[in-house]
Amino acid sequence: MKYGKLDRSLLENVRAKVQRGLLPQWAFTDPDVFQAELERIFAKTWNFLGHESEVARPGDYVTRWIARDPVLLVRDAEGKVQAYLNSCTHRGTKLCTADFGNKKAFTCPYHGWTFNLAGELTGIVAGNKVYGKEMDRSQWSLRKIPRVESYQGMIFGSLNEHVEPLETFLGDMKWYFDLMLGRSDHGMEVRGIPQRWIIHTNWKISADNFGGDPYHTAMTHRSTVELGISPKDPMYASYGYQIVLDNGHGINIVTRRKDMNVPPFQGLPQAMWPMFERNLDPVQLDVFRNTMITVGNCFPNLSFVSPMHGTGGPDEPLTSFVNFRVWRPLTPTSIEVTSWLMVDKDAPEAFKEASYLSYVGSFGPAGTLEQDDAEIWTRVAEASQGWMTQDKDVHYNNVLNYLMGLDRVEPDPSWPGPGVAYPTCYLDAISRAFYERWIECLLDDAI
Amino acid sequence: MHYDDICRFLYTEASLLDARKYEEWLDLLDDNIRYRMPLRATRDFKDPCDIVNDMTFFDETKQSLRTRVERLRTTSAWAENPHTRTRHVVTNILVTGENGPDEATVQSYVLILRSIRDKADVEQLFGERIDVIRRVDGSLKLMERTVHPDQTVLSMLNLSIFV
Repeated sequence: MKYGKLDRSLLENVRAKVQRGLLPQWAFTDPDVFQAELERIFAKTWNFLGHESEVARPGDYVTRWIARDPVLLVRDAEGKVQAYLNSCTHRGTKLCTADFGNKKAFTCPYHGWTFNLAGELTGIVAGNKVYGKEMDRSQWSLRKIPRVESYQGMIFGSLNEHVEPLETFLGDMKWYFDLMLGRSDHGMEVRGIPQRWIIHTNWKISADNFGGDPYHTAMTHRSTVELGISPKDPMYASYGYQIVLDNGHGINIVTRRKDMNVPPFQGLPQAMWPMFERNLDPVQLDVFRNTMITVGNCFPNLSFVSPMHGTGGPDEPLTSFVNFRVWRPLTPTSIEVTSWLMVDKDAPEAFKEASYLSYVGSFGPAGTLEQDDAEIWTRVAEASQGWMTQDKDVHYNNVLNYLMGLDRVEPDPSWPGPGVAYPTCYLDAISRAFYERWIECLLDDAI
Repeated sequence: MHYDDICRFLYTEASLLDARKYEEWLDLLDDNIRYRMPLRATRDFKDPCDIVNDMTFFDETKQSLRTRVERLRTTSAWAENPHTRTRHVVTNILVTGENGPDEATVQSYVLILRSIRDKADVEQLFGERIDVIRRVDGSLKLMERTVHPDQTVLSMLNLSIFV
């Protein structure tokens, strides 16, 4: 038995296993894997930063993270969204410590260097006396996050100036983002601020859970079945499509069935339906009409869920919501969750309130569904740190099972939307695609 | 309303929660209770309000709290199966307002220490609670609870407990 090193031949071996539905358990916890992920995934790809409604007016700002890089996201005086490394260019102090607010300028508490919304160094305490007129202040602007682009109000940043355009990276995920984010005339708004909390698990465990694992609902969330809130049929979350998209993205759409008496458009108010007809193309409209739940993951760590849920017991009406969350990697076995509730700006106030209560009741750290997810994800990380699971010699004893549907479930060519759609959500196709993308990224710069 | 009665009420409540006697705990809550836990944020010095009421961790009615309790009584609420162990340390109880002889607004500090399975790490949640307590038919009832956590990023993995 060998503990082993993370070199190219090992990673190629892992790729071959992943393609056949086997993932070494050390992928969750190995410190070298984690370091490689920071370098080869989070520093290279697009990372979600926030929604345009969070920085609606000039001077509005929020502070965020890309893995370990602190980011200051602001709306500048011209109305353009800017993202800076949240670190003073003089001595590196974290410049802005507030979570959100509105400012005309940011002053560093260390020596008083001041930057405007355009990131320009506009003030230095005793500037000319100590640096002389020869110091070129334009050389000491805030450092920009190399690339910032947005789609449907979703602002992403990349630390890699050569990254592909955001819309290329999102690819066919854009079509599905439209259903959640682009269906109404004025788009979405974030309610309040995002919830944040820490879970002692690996970021891939949660991303994979949202991305490709409707199968877990029958057991992990069985308490809601016992309560009569969720259907007794253990296959209930499978009825629909698991859709594998490019670049490691994936989405599951649980569809409305006639015998379930679920209203169209996830129960969104009928007054909004004409907007959906205006903003979605006919194929999107038809798919959205019959959608009950969407849940998925945008590689690497932006997950989303839009279910219909009630909190008051079996007789309460179900209300949908749209939730996006980032699983920010802190260590191999800890993540900071940032979770945004979004709602259509054009929705009636009563719906916005009901949608909020539905979210808070079911998701977030106190949510009756999410409570159990967090507990179980910590148990995966907890059981993946010992010698047997860390053995790099990839063999039957240390790989996990991602075999569901492999060579068994064929794509459904009749699915009208983009991507490779399989006619069930109980399938590991998205997980396999997620880990294939993951291992390709790790192999990209491997020695 | 006597200060001692208010303290006894809050200590009794904490004891029921730590003993997971949730049905008895529900009996202390008025049928129209509003039970909320808004988010705390780190704000700039010039923005003194650091509570965000538009988003919460809990926004509950008696009915939704009852559903939560019923869920914890199922065989598959894994966050509490096996159950976690808590101590609600309730201190610094101050009556901050009175509305007639039978209703008081009460501020208290709460520190919840939580032990999960065999983990040596202590999970903590702490903050202040602002309660409205009323005497109804001779016994005290919780009419309203607002919890202001001190952490902006909760270090607890989940809140399968009541605060």
